[in-house]
Amino acid sequence: MTTESLLVLPGDEIDPSLIPTHKKNPLRLGPGLRHVPPNHILPTVAGQLVADHRKTSLYVEYNGGRYIPSVSDLVIGQVTRSAADLYYVNLNPYTPNASLPHLAFEGATKKTRPQLAPGALVYARISLANRHMDPELECVSATTGKAEGLGPLTGGMIFDISLGLARRLLMARSREAGGIAVLELLGAEGLAFETAVGRNGKVWVGSENTKTVVLVGRALKETDEKGLDVEQQKKLVQKLIKQMR
Amino acid sequence: MPATREPEADLSVLPKADGSARYSYAGYTVTGSVNGPIEAQRRDEHAYEAHVDVIVRPAAGVGGTRERHLETTLQSSLTQLILVKNFPRSLIQIVLQVESAPENDYVNTKLVQASLNFAIIPALLQTAVLALLSAAVPMRATATSAIVAVVSQDGASELVADPSPREVEAAQSVHVLAFTSQDELLLAESEGDFTVKEWDDVYDTAKRICCQSGATKGESIEMVLDEKGDNGPDMRQFLRSTLETKVVADLYWK
Repeated sequence: MTTESLLVLPGDEIDPSLIPTHKKNPLRLGPGLRHVPPNHILPTVAGQLVADHRKTSLYVEYNGGRYIPSVSDLVIGQVTRSAADLYYVNLNPYTPNASLPHLAFEGATKKTRPQLAPGALVYARISLANRHMDPELECVSATTGKAEGLGPLTGGMIFDISLGLARRLLMARSREAGGIAVLELLGAEGLAFETAVGRNGKVWVGSENTKTVVLVGRALKETDEKGLDVEQQKKLVQKLIKQMR
Repeated sequence: MPATREPEADLSVLPKADGSARYSYAGYTVTGSVNGPIEAQRRDEHAYEAHVDVIVRPAAGVGGTRERHLETTLQSSLTQLILVKNFPRSLIQIVLQVESAPENDYVNTKLVQASLNFAIIPALLQTAVLALLSAAVPMRATATSAIVAVVSQDGASELVADPSPREVEAAQSVHVLAFTSQDELLLAESEGDFTVKEWDDVYDTAKRICCQSGATKGESIEMVLDEKGDNGPDMRQFLRSTLETKVVADLYWK
C-alpha cells in the first residue's frame, strides 16, 4: 500500500529514504521515472511520487498527456485498413497505426477470421511496444488461447476520457482505490449496459437502448471534466436518471 | 507597467491539445499548446530522436524572420530539456501564441529593421516549459529564464532585471539567460556592448532570479531582504507552486 507521497518535477532529486528497498526483490520503476546509471533515479514528469514498500516499486502518479503504448495495456482501437495478414488499428489521433494480425483472435484460422471493415472498433491488449517499432496488438490471450473479453466491439459508442480516469476505471477496486462509483450507481438504478475501458483514454458503452448509452457516456464525461467525488457522482446519477424518465 | 508584478499561469487551458498553458508576466501574455509525441512528417523524421517543432505566433499579423529566429533559439533549448531519445521518429509540436506585449508610448513597436525581440524570450520559454509539463512529456529537467539589462546611469552601469521596453531601448546591453532545475546554464543570448565583468554580474543576477530556491536557504533570505526590489520573483518556486496546484487538482480522488 502507499505509504509516502510528494510532488516531484522533472529532474528533482529523490530523497534516498523514500526509495523502497528489499533484501531479495529488485526495485521496480513505474511510469514517470528513469534510471540514470550508476545510481540516480530521476522523475521525468510532474506528479505525485508514490512508493510501494510491499512491492518495492516506485512510480509517479499523474494525469494528462498523450497515451504512450506499453505492453499488456488494454486499449480500444479503430481499424483504419486491412492488409494481407493484419489490420492497421489507430489508438490515438496523429500517431502511427498499431498492427493487429488477422490470426490474433480467439479460434481464428485463415478461413474463419473476423472480418473488420475500416472504422470498426476492437478491444485489444498491447503485445509489443517499444520506441523503435510501431505497437502490436492481440485480441487473444497467448497462454490460454481464449479471448478473455477482447475482440471486436459492435454497436454502442466511444467516449473520450482523460488517461487518469481510464486508469482509475481499470483498477480492480475502482470505488475504494479510484474513487469512481458512477458506473456501479448507474447499474444499481436498473440501467442495462456494458462498458469497455481502454487505457488510451477511451470508453466504449454498449446497450440495447440508445438513451442509456448516451446517459452513461455523459455521466462519465461529466465526472471526468468536473472532477466529481463519490457523493457528487451519486447526485449526478440521480439527476440524469430523473431527466431520462 | 510594473516590472515586479508577480507572474501568473494557468495550466491545461485548451481542451483539445495534449497540454497547454497561459503565462503572463511583465506585460507579456503567452498561450502555449503542446501536442506530442505524434507522427512526424517525412522530412522532419529523425531515426533516433524526436523532432521538436516550435512555432511562435505574434500578437498581430503573421510571423516573419524575427519569429523564425526566436523559434530556433527556443527549439535548441527545449530539445535539451525534452528526452528526445525516448521517442524516435516522432514529433513534439509546441505552438506559442503571443497574446499581448507591454504597451509603451515611447518605443516604436513596428520595427523597420529586422531586430531581435529579446524581452519576450523568457515569457516564451516559461510558457513552453509549463505547457510541456501539462502535456506530461518526459523531460530531463525543468527550466526558468530571466532577462537582465545593463543600463548606464551617470557613468555607472546598473543591472535591471525584467526591464520595460523603454529600458531595453536605452540599455547598453540586454541579456537573456535560462537555467535548468539542476542549476545548469541552458540559454545565454546577449545584445549590445558589454565587458566580461558586466556579463559575470549579469550571470550572477540571472542565476539568483532563476535558481533562488536552489540556493542555500540562509543566503537566499539575506538576498531577499537586501534587494527585494530588483531581485524579481522566485521563478523556480513559482513553477513548483503552479504545478502543485495542478497535481493536487488532478489527483483529487486520492
